Parts: sequence; C-alpha cells; structure tokens
Amino acid sequence: MREEIINLKNLAIGRITDTDDLAELEAVKIDYLGRKGKINALLSNLKKADPGERKDLGQLINETKQTIVATLERKLQDSLPKSSENFDPTIPGIKPKIGHLHPTTIVIKEMFDIFGHLGFSIMEGPEIETDDYNFGKLNLPHDHPARSLQDVLYIDEPEILLRSHTSSVESRALDNLKQPFRIVVAGKCYRYESVNASNNAMFYQFQGVALQAGISMADLKGTLYYFAKSFFGRERKIRFRCKYYPEVEPGGGLDIDCIFCKQTGCAVCKGRGWLEMLGCGMIHPNILSNFSLDPKKISGFAFGMGLDRIVMDRFGIKDIRSLYNGDIKY
Amino acid sequence: MRIPLSWLANYVNLPSKLSDLTDALTSAGHMLDKKESVDGDTVIDLELRGNRADCYSILGIAREVSALFATPIRLPNLYKKLSTTRQLTEVSLHIHSPFVRRAMLTAIKNVRIVTSPDWLKKPLLAYGIDSVNNIVDLTNFVMVETGEPLHAFDLDKIGTNLAIRIARQDEKMLTFQGKTVNLDKNDLVWVNKTDVLSIAGSIGEKNHSISDSTKNVLLEGANYDRVNIRRTIHRHNLMTEASIRHEKELDPGLVEEGIYRFLYLVDKYDWGQLTAQVADYYPSPVKPWSISLSFDYLNTLGGVNPGPNKVKTILKGLNFKIKNETKNGLVVICPPYRTDVTLEEDLIEEVLRIDGYDKIPTRTLSLEIPPIVTPAYVGQEENFRTAAQSVGLDETITSSFVSEKYHKFNQYLENANVAPIKIVNRPSPDNEVLRLTLLPNLVAMTQKVINERGHQAGFFEIGKVYFKQKDYCEKRKIGIIYWQKDSEPFTKFKGLVESLLLKANIEKVSFGRQNINNPRLTNTYNLLLDKTVIGFGGQNGTIFYCEIDLDVLVGKHQKTVAQLWPKFPPQIEDITLTIPANVSVGEIVTSIKQTKYVTATELIDTFENYYTFRLWYQDPSKTLTAKEVGESRKSLLSLIKQKFKAKIK
Repeated sequence: MREEIINLKNLAIGRITDTDDLAELEAVKIDYLGRKGKINALLSNLKKADPGERKDLGQLINETKQTIVATLERKLQDSLPKSSENFDPTIPGIKPKIGHLHPTTIVIKEMFDIFGHLGFSIMEGPEIETDDYNFGKLNLPHDHPARSLQDVLYIDEPEILLRSHTSSVESRALDNLKQPFRIVVAGKCYRYESVNASNNAMFYQFQGVALQAGISMADLKGTLYYFAKSFFGRERKIRFRCKYYPEVEPGGGLDIDCIFCKQTGCAVCKGRGWLEMLGCGMIHPNILSNFSLDPKKISGFAFGMGLDRIVMDRFGIKDIRSLYNGDIKY
Repeated sequence: MRIPLSWLANYVNLPSKLSDLTDALTSAGHMLDKKESVDGDTVIDLELRGNRADCYSILGIAREVSALFATPIRLPNLYKKLSTTRQLTEVSLHIHSPFVRRAMLTAIKNVRIVTSPDWLKKPLLAYGIDSVNNIVDLTNFVMVETGEPLHAFDLDKIGTNLAIRIARQDEKMLTFQGKTVNLDKNDLVWVNKTDVLSIAGSIGEKNHSISDSTKNVLLEGANYDRVNIRRTIHRHNLMTEASIRHEKELDPGLVEEGIYRFLYLVDKYDWGQLTAQVADYYPSPVKPWSISLSFDYLNTLGGVNPGPNKVKTILKGLNFKIKNETKNGLVVICPPYRTDVTLEEDLIEEVLRIDGYDKIPTRTLSLEIPPIVTPAYVGQEENFRTAAQSVGLDETITSSFVSEKYHKFNQYLENANVAPIKIVNRPSPDNEVLRLTLLPNLVAMTQKVINERGHQAGFFEIGKVYFKQKDYCEKRKIGIIYWQKDSEPFTKFKGLVESLLLKANIEKVSFGRQNINNPRLTNTYNLLLDKTVIGFGGQNGTIFYCEIDLDVLVGKHQKTVAQLWPKFPPQIEDITLTIPANVSVGEIVTSIKQTKYVTATELIDTFENYYTFRLWYQDPSKTLTAKEVGESRKSLLSLIKQKFKAKIK
C-alpha cells in the first residue's frame, strides 16, 4: 500500500506540473481531493492494512494530500495573469483621428431640433435671388433703406442679387407651400460690407415662419420663449418688446440678458445689459396679400436672427472672419 | 435720438424712477441705447424706429410718455395765425418740382443777433448741437422740439426771386460747413437767379446763411418727398439734423407748427419784428384718415384682449379720435403726425405696445401640427456630415467667394465652358467671384495648414457651388481634401472616401480614370455610381481632393439592414500576384470578387509590382472543404493568368 500511495502522489504531481489548463487542474482536484476522490479512497482502504503499519500509512496519506493541495495551490497561483514589471500608465496614448463639426453647423442643428419639437419643417432656398423674392414681395418698397445699392450685392442689377436675408425663403414658402405650414431656414446671406473683425460680406441667418389660421402674437411669443429657454438656458432672462420691421405688423424684438456683465453694462452689450437676439412679428398684411392670402382669414408669424454672433458667443470666438477662413483649431 | 430729460419734462410729467421711463419707452419701441449726464442733466439716447418720423422730436417722445403713463401733455405756445398769401411782398418763391409737398415762408425784420440765453443754449448743448447765435439756435431748438426742420436765410443776401427746382448737372454748392457738393439732376435745391441757396432738406449754402451782421431774415419750413431727399443725402453723404428728419415720412402739418413756434419765441424775446404775412405753398393738403378696428381681429392677431374700454383709453391717449363705436369695434381718426399708422394691423400694434408686450400671453402654437415638408436632402447632408466626421475629417465652412489669389483653382469640374458668376458691385476683389467648386477655398485652408502648422490636414465642406448655364444654378457638393506631411499613397485617401461613402450608405461606387478640366489637378478620376458620374477627384501636389455631387445622390442611399455573423467559418488565404503595369488593379479585384465562394477581398500589401490579396471563402450553409476552396482558387488563378497575364508568386 505504501507503494500505491507514493505512485498516486507522483501521478498527481505529474498531472499538476504538466498542465497550465485551469479545467485540468480542477479535474485533478476533484480526482484526488474530492469527496469520492482517490485520497478518500485510500483512507477508507486503510482499515484493511496491517494494524502495525496503519499509523505510518495514515501519516503518509495525509502528507500526500497536503503535498497535492500545496502543489495545486502553487500551480493555480502561477497560472493567474501577471502585470509586467515596467508597465507605465502615464505614457501618452496614441489617439485615433476624430472629426469635428463646424460650430455654425452645431448651432444650426441644435436650433433645428428645438423647432422640430414644435412641428417646424426645415426649408432652404436659393442664395442667388430675384429682387422680387428678396424685397418686392416682402413689403420692402423700392426706396427702403435696406435696398440701396450700397447694401446689397448684385449679380445682374437690378433684378438678380445675392439674398440679403433668409426672408427670401419666406417669400418662396408663401409662394409654394400649402398652408398651414411651419418652417425654419438657416443659410448664407450676403451684403455689401468691408470685411473686419465684426463684419463680413457673407453671414448666416436663421429664419422661422408659421402660417396658420388662428396664429397670434401670443403664439409667436410662446414659440420664441420656448426656443430661447431651450437654446440659451432656463435661467436666462428674456425681454420681448415692440420693434419696427417692414416685413411685419405688429413687430417685435427679443433681447436676452447679457451674460458677459450679468446686466451691469459692458462693451459687448454697449452698456445696455441686454443683447438683441432677433426680430419678429406677425407677417405684414401687404405680404399676405402679395401671395393672394386674405389677412383677415389667415395669419402667421416670422422671425429672423443673425447666427454668427450667437455662434461666436457660444464658442468664445472673437473674430467673425475666423469662422469661415479655416482658423478654427479643432 | 438724444433726449435731455429736463427738456422733456417741460411738456410732460416724468415718472420719478428713470428706469420706469426707459423700460416703458424700450418696450414701446424706443429702445434705450445709452444714458449719460451732461452738465447735471440726464440725457437718454433712444434708438428710434425708422417709420416714426414724429418721434424725432422732444414733443414726439413727450406724446409717447403721455400715452404710456396716462399723464397729460403740455403743448408749447404758438404764435397766432397770420394771414396766408401766395407770395410775400419781400420775396417771391416759384416751385418747379412735385417733390415739394409744402413750403412756408415768412420774413422777420430788424433782427437782433445776440448770444443765446441759457434756456436756449443749454438744452441744445445737452442734445448735442453747439450754440451759434440766437437765431440759428432757435431754428435748431424748434426743430428738436417739434421735429420740423427750419431754415433761416439772410434776406438781404438772397435777392427777391427764389425757386425750388431740380439741380443742373454739375451745379455746385459750398455748404456752410465748407464742403463743396457737386449736384446732379436728381437733387432738389433752393435757388435765386444766380446761386444755389440750399440743398432741400439737408444743408444751406455758406454765403446766404445767417451771420452776425444779418439784419433781416427769411424763415422757411418745408416738407418734401422723402425718397428724393434720402437719395440726395446718401449720394452726397449729407447726414444732418435736418436730413435725418426729412428722409422720413414727416407730417406736412408740422411745417406750420414749426414756423408759428419760431415766431412765438422771436416775438416773446423781442429778437425781431414779425411781418404780417406767411406764404404757404401746399397744393394737396393731407386729409384726415380713419381706420376701423375690430375687437375680434385684435384678439386673433394680437393674442390678447384688453377690452373695449382699455382699447379706447389707449387710443385716445395717443390722440386718436373715436369716430364711431359698436360692440364689435371702433372707427378712429388718426392724428396727422402718425404717418406710420394706415392699417388696422398698425392700430393693433399701437394697442399692444402701449398696453405692454409683457401683457401678451405665451402660447406654444396650440394648433394642429401642419404636415412635415422637410426635403430629403436635409437628412442626406446630415448623414454625410456624420460619415465624414466618423472617418476623422473636420468640417469647415468657407466663403462662397473665391479670393483673388485662388482664382486659378476656380474651374468648374464638370464642364470647361462654365464661367464663374461675378458681383457687379463688389465690396473688394476678394468678394467678387463666386465659387464653381469647393476646391479653391479648401486648398487655401490646407495650404495654410501646410505652411503654418500641423503635419496633417483632413477637411470636408458641404456647400453650394454657383454657375450660370441657361439660368443661375446652385449645386450642393461635398468637397473632401486631405494632406499628410510624409506623402501618403493615393490608396489611403481613396480608402477614406470609400469609407465615407459606405458610412453614408452609398454603396458600390467605382473610381475610373478621367481627364477633368482643372489644370491645377493631376491624376484625375471620376466617381461612378452605376453609370452615373457622381464626382471628380485629383491631386494638387501632395494634396488629395475629391468633390461629390450631393444633388444626384439624393435618394440613392441603401437602407441599413442589420447583418449577422455567418454561422460557418470562412477559409482565409493570401495570394500574391505580379500584375503587369498596363492592367488596372481594380479589374483584378472585380475578378476575385466574382469567384465562387469568395465573399470579400482586401489588398493587404504591395511591393513593386507584387500585390498581395487576402481572400475570404465562405458559404452561408456549410463549412467549406479544402477541396471546394482549392477548386475555386484554381479557376480564379487560371482566369487571372489568361485575362491579365498576371503571374502567381
């Protein structure tokens, strides 16, 4: 029996040292140390042994068991994954190239989403426009200040020009869309301007138009408040006041509190404490009539704002030229 | 306009808190621009509305304050009406232009020219006009007070025969400020037999104006066609206190108010001897006009219903007269100075702004949601943006103009015979020519990166190009530009474009050799989807460029279908071929892809003319045997050998 025990021990140690497989080690454990394992089998055979040898043999079995347990444990320890000694988590990573969106795109997308929640569709129109769509149909009579040659870029004077505002898309919507409709527009506009840090010949505008029987100034105000609170933040203060634009009657304007000085007055808000954000109002009855709509039966509102200033404020850009000349570092 | 508060307070009681005043004025349409203190007097600067000619005066603002705070106005005293005549005895005036709507003249004799007293000098100074002498200051004072610009000639210098007519081409006038104006046939002028005396509505001539030695004065007040005045002042850059008022729609009735206010003050201070007559040219007097207002319409358009009594109080406070009243609405007569109020909607604005825009409730379009009409290309652009961003490109937006330096890059890629569109009144040479391709501005940006910073540039722009064929056209494009310091092979750029297109769900685009009409690009090619050309590409030095037409791709994207990993494993093997120089590698790839069981292939390595391809053999229904793969390979290799004379390594 002594020989049997020594053989068993050698076999078990052999199996353990020969493998790195955890499943095999688990099998060895069950084979030898399990309830019905080989060690227990030896112990139950002990009573058949010579009574004089029983004590020694019992000791030998115990030693064998302990050797197997210890070997097995050491092996299990050894087969766990180990950290390399010179691992350095402070080494700089190799970054994959990430693409970025332009700040103007980000702002437009955000605004489109907000107005999307209010049932507005997105619309576009040509940048090369006719005088009629840009001015004539919009209650901007021939001698309105905005029409002077100084302000507009002409391609074929006086009929073809680069749109000076996104209101031209309002003309096209009133001309082409079936009412009721709600649309928002974002796009490039152009004006005669010498280029400097705060003026550019090309600029972005954002425009909205809603036409539907029953729309009132209250809908305009509610829509713009919803937008302003969503876009600028609930904590911002808003001021809605009377303002004149030939395209609307009644007309209004929305101002937002100056965050640069917390309304104490600074250069950005010219000491006013408020920043002018957008112009708006109910679509002028003359415009509705221009598109064969009866102002007494259907009404609508329109609003428009310059985007570049909003983008610059949002992203801390100081010079308008850097928006569109590739100076922005991503 | 600057409003000295002590001047304003002469006509109306002001609220004790300044911010109550300025908040109310701002809300009603006259935004507080800034405020300052001049010699102890507070001056508020209001940004006035261009259609409110009546507000360019202290009295105009006083009327607004009176309406806003429901407090009475104290109108200034006027001289009693004199008898009107067609021509004065002292001087005759002939009018040869329909642009004169009204002109009043009166002579003042034995004028006493003195230094202005404080009551005259101080408010003007606070307003921003320097004192000259009592008579000149008085014309200015009455102008700022009433809004009617007046002009005083030296009666002894102007002769006895005056006329208002259109100027002759190149007629000249020296202004009292010392500037010579070269007039033309669009300008309206006051003249005598020999000289131009003033440019109507804006400025007087130097030698016929009041001086310290003036004895007798001819005072004139007039009203002109504002469009004509506006053109003149902008043509000759003649912004004056008079012209900023005359270019707006002033009430011709104001002429009389200005003249009689002036006479009252001259008489009161004994600065001259009034004559008994006033000449008044007023061929078509403005008739009072009335407007009806429906309470229902006020409610549906304004979104607020202050009630008939409140509406009446507001309108009366603004000097509208109630002509007729029913339970449904009112008919009101407009005060003649409110030249901006002609429509019912204008009246509604009056009610809303005096009641306060803060009283308008906020409703968030509580109406049925109209159909969504967003066109498909909006989503398409967004897909392309996401796709380009996901392959590591940065978005840029560049000018629609091409700066002078980059004109040579501005060639339409599809057709050589398309000329760029030009602006006729360019503000600068860099803002004159519209882009025919996104290439020039993207190259400019990339060259900036090359010259100034960085070792890599990868940009895309989604934007329009502009050209004229039969009509003016605008096409939407995506331009992709790429450069890396240690020249990258074309395959890297092509892979980027391919991944971008795949991410945008545009599948099976092929690249083919094609000469394009831009001499700045070499190694040019086109991109084809089926048989449609969707874009062009090429190389400018080490810069890769490709431009894809988004308009033709609208609706061409594949629907995304989720795919599962195949149940049976692929057999993967690499094959190295030597390919003759005259064979396009693309054709070999096509042959490989057409081979039985081959589901994918990649070019994994190239060395000289050795090309190593990795092939995936796979069957969705079983694991392929070595025999099946072997047969497949054999047929591929013999085809390649035969067709392309390619050798297997």
